[in-house]
Amino acid sequence: MDIGVFIQILVWGLYAGCIYILLAIGLNLIFGVMKVVNFAHGEVLMLGAYAAFWIYTYSSINPYLIIPASMLLIAILGVFIERLGFRPIMGTGKLNEIFLSLGLIYLFQNLVAFLWSTNSRSIRSPYGEVVVPIGAIKLPLDYLIIIIFTIVFIIAFQLFMKKTTTGRAMRATSQNREAAALMGINVERMDMLSFALGSALAAAAGSLWLISGQMATPYMGSIPAIKAFAVVIIGGLGSIPGAIVAGMTLGIVENVVPLLMSSLVGILGFEMSFTAWKDTIAFFILIIVLVIRPTGIFGEKGE
Amino acid sequence: MNMKYGILFVVVVVSLLLAISLGQSAGAQNGVEEIKIGVVAPLTGGASTTGLDMWQAAVLAKDEINAQGGVNVNGVNMQIKLIQGDTGTSPGTGVTVVTKLITADEVDVLVGGFSSGITYADQVVAAEHKVPFIITGASSPVITRRDDIDTSYFFHHCPTTDDYGEDTLLFVDEIVRPAINERFGFPADRKLKLAVLYQDSKYGVGVYEGITKAIGEHNLNVDVVAAEKFKMSETDFRTVLTVIKASNPDVVYPAAFINEQTVIVTQGRRDVGLDTIYLSVECCDDPDYYTGVERWGEYSIQESRFSPYTIPAGDIHDSVAQYKQDFEAKWGVAPSMMGSSTYEGVYIAAEAIKNAGTVDKEKVRAALAEIEMPQMVEAMQNGVITFSPDYRESKFELYMQQLIWDESVGETRPKIVWPDSVKETEFVLPGWYESGSAPTETATATPTEAPTTTPEEPGFEAVFAIAGLLAVGYLVLRQRK
Amino acid sequence: MKLDRLKLDRMNLKAWLGVISLILAFLIPIISGIDTYLLTVLILMLVFIMYASAWNLLALSGQGSLGHAAFFGIGGYTSAIIAKSLGLPPLATILVGGLFAAFIGVLIGLTCVRLREWFLGMVTFGFAVIAHTITAELSWLTGGWDGLPAKKIIPVSVQNYLMYEYYLMLLLTVVVVVIIWMIMKSRIGLAFEAIRENELEAKVMGINVTRYKLMAFAVSAFFTGVAGALQIHHFGYITPEVYAIDISFLPIIYCVSGGLFTIEGPILGTIFITLLDEGLKNFGWTYERYIVIGLILILVVRFLPKGFVSIPEKIKSRLKSHP
Repeated sequence: MDIGVFIQILVWGLYAGCIYILLAIGLNLIFGVMKVVNFAHGEVLMLGAYAAFWIYTYSSINPYLIIPASMLLIAILGVFIERLGFRPIMGTGKLNEIFLSLGLIYLFQNLVAFLWSTNSRSIRSPYGEVVVPIGAIKLPLDYLIIIIFTIVFIIAFQLFMKKTTTGRAMRATSQNREAAALMGINVERMDMLSFALGSALAAAAGSLWLISGQMATPYMGSIPAIKAFAVVIIGGLGSIPGAIVAGMTLGIVENVVPLLMSSLVGILGFEMSFTAWKDTIAFFILIIVLVIRPTGIFGEKGE
Repeated sequence: MNMKYGILFVVVVVSLLLAISLGQSAGAQNGVEEIKIGVVAPLTGGASTTGLDMWQAAVLAKDEINAQGGVNVNGVNMQIKLIQGDTGTSPGTGVTVVTKLITADEVDVLVGGFSSGITYADQVVAAEHKVPFIITGASSPVITRRDDIDTSYFFHHCPTTDDYGEDTLLFVDEIVRPAINERFGFPADRKLKLAVLYQDSKYGVGVYEGITKAIGEHNLNVDVVAAEKFKMSETDFRTVLTVIKASNPDVVYPAAFINEQTVIVTQGRRDVGLDTIYLSVECCDDPDYYTGVERWGEYSIQESRFSPYTIPAGDIHDSVAQYKQDFEAKWGVAPSMMGSSTYEGVYIAAEAIKNAGTVDKEKVRAALAEIEMPQMVEAMQNGVITFSPDYRESKFELYMQQLIWDESVGETRPKIVWPDSVKETEFVLPGWYESGSAPTETATATPTEAPTTTPEEPGFEAVFAIAGLLAVGYLVLRQRK
Repeated sequence: MKLDRLKLDRMNLKAWLGVISLILAFLIPIISGIDTYLLTVLILMLVFIMYASAWNLLALSGQGSLGHAAFFGIGGYTSAIIAKSLGLPPLATILVGGLFAAFIGVLIGLTCVRLREWFLGMVTFGFAVIAHTITAELSWLTGGWDGLPAKKIIPVSVQNYLMYEYYLMLLLTVVVVVIIWMIMKSRIGLAFEAIRENELEAKVMGINVTRYKLMAFAVSAFFTGVAGALQIHHFGYITPEVYAIDISFLPIIYCVSGGLFTIEGPILGTIFITLLDEGLKNFGWTYERYIVIGLILILVVRFLPKGFVSIPEKIKSRLKSHP
């Protein structure tokens, strides 16, 4: 493998990492504020992609302009999920959150399949054929937009959390819920807001993914969501910098390791393809990290 | 709060009532003379689009036959009744549903069967009860070749993964290889470099095995330079395509489903710059594929037997056009490939029962084994639907089509380029096509290249190996504390 | 005094219900005749009762696995491979399948000892994915994607073999459920509950948390492996589809809807959801079935956290508050 190829693979990993990061930040935000985990986050991504698809189909405007609309719709859905699903069961045990999410997964996947069939849907990007050369690497404009969007979002998000009153209130809630409530912060509103924001981010990830050339099916959310959970766990629950580093790392490692494994086995004289092991490797990494540090690399105390 | 409990109770009670219907509908029988055909297809889960198409096509066939007075069985006109069997995504569901069709609904014949993994388990039940099963969806050749059960009741009416590989490779060897040699001035006996990128499933592995079999059997002048797998529903193929690109292939053959194939071709051409001819398996010949792949799919090759956008020339043209029209009139959507063989499957079942003059399963099986009926909506070899005596497989006349950009619809559209009997246009090697190697590749060029690249690899990998060992060591030490 | 009698009555009622349902289960083939479809549904239901009860036992110790299909499949594959290569009868190899699943269970348990809730969920889920990949890869042993034929528990040549199979399954299910019930009622079960309620307190009380957690994993994986082996010897064939995500999720749905941490919950849940699913299928329902199941799960978690088994209590308390 020559070094040019290696750099290229790093870039693809980076791009793949962006989707994980958008999902992971949303998950982290919700966890931080409410201390609950929505396992159906991937289905929220899927619904975001479908929202973008339908708006695009009926309006046929520039798909990038649709993203805010899709985010808004899914943010409202997020509020519903929070109010009707997670809030009532808060404090009844962590296992219940998993069960509720499981129900949501079944509900959303099959509802979408029922309403809109399992046909693969796609959105045509106006920049689909534009490729930007950066040094030796040719980067499609769509990916550049995704990377820029992710960076802009992370910065905006950090500013929001640090500079605005609402953001500070959210941070206070995630640090100490009781104290925040005593200070006069409406913690329930913070819960709702965190779910809305987190879901909107998942919707953005779904829409961006669809526009960049992926196809939407009712089952599209499961794999990215599982990866995003791995990212959140590796990075440490509630840690946003952790999620960024872990997202990038996972995106790169899961792409590079199968190749290294093939070469290693090749040295031993066997010929074997490990490219189908991507998910398996992601879980191996997850398990190793958790065995060494049960709270993740950047996690302080976890739960 | 109380009202909410009320709602829950209503839900529970209603569901219980629904469950009770289980016994009733299973037991209901009527005295009308009917031929009962069980349609086995996935109507839930990832493959349900295909399953629905199979069911709709079967219903169309049933309606047509019944409208013409049904099936004449030994002087009595019998109507066909279809019974739906949803195999879902797990062998457990498949086995239960096939058992139900056979023993509770007492079907005379089974038609359908999609995922090979589920069909393997279904077959055990069908074999045990000796019910003829016309398999119109599962593509594994093992289905009629396995030896753990009696397979004599299984009739395979859809191309196998061996057939996909064989016909596609024959086309590549006959048409694509000479075209490349001519363009780049290669010697005529230069081996074509083929890269395979296949789904890690029965389907993908089967296509790959079919490819290697075809190369061996026909002694094709083709070299497989790369064979990489990917996990089902994978969405990121850039890395593996980069690896494939590094192996310098002349042609890339992905064995994928449509959502994967779309992404493979798009990422291959746009992201990785692998400007080559992409081949594809027939299941990708679907309207969603043409929409999804955009201009990147231009000039790629598809093996097919029933296309949404083109109809092979010749005798079959009118009947295909009629079928498409009838299907759209009935269901409001266009028919697709798996449905068309299921449509034929219902007709085959009806014909066999007519010939047998009874619904007795053993006699129907014998009639199926000897069936000879004219081709219907898919081209068959010699124009006849018949099952081979050895493994009871019908032989399709598969064709190859090339995707050509159509400005009027803003998408690509297929044009049949092979075989000569149904061809619409000539295969085109696009201007942007890049072959796998420099024009002057001779015996001396390879040895000089090889030593320079190989020594680099161990060094690079060794670093990671050491890092891995260190990680393991750290882990062990940490645990000991 | 009064309270004690009430308790006794309830225990009696439960015991009576258990005996009656057992007699019913025993009589079904006699009443309905040899209905192959009904027996197939019931046999699969029994397999899943064992499976769900085993999952429930692990959950009792506070460890909610999201990847139990790994044990289900490992049990099935081990048993099928040994039965095929050594020519042993399935009834013997089923135990080997269970034991090997238990062995793997202890290994997985070791990585999970320090993890809680959804960290553990993710890791177990990951192990199911890993088991799937490795099984498909070891094609010389497992037949790869083509799978393996598995011997039938009772040879097809035996007349009415399905009926014997049903009674055998019924017997095994009763044995498994009774063993799990005894474990739940014993000191071990109490220790599991103590760990689930508060791990730190359990430790202070002198409970060896790690040992009990591993024990829960081993026992649960053993019975899951046995259930998996029974299922594939009933089907007569095994493919890597046995590791499907649905197989991991089904016991959870059964347990949660029936009633977590109780012995009758998984049984009730399995019967109810299986019948519902089969019943709805007869209406030609496809996705709607899963929508209904998803809704039931959500509603149960939200309004009936103790599952269907708590419905009588709820009614009673409602009657009391609104005379």
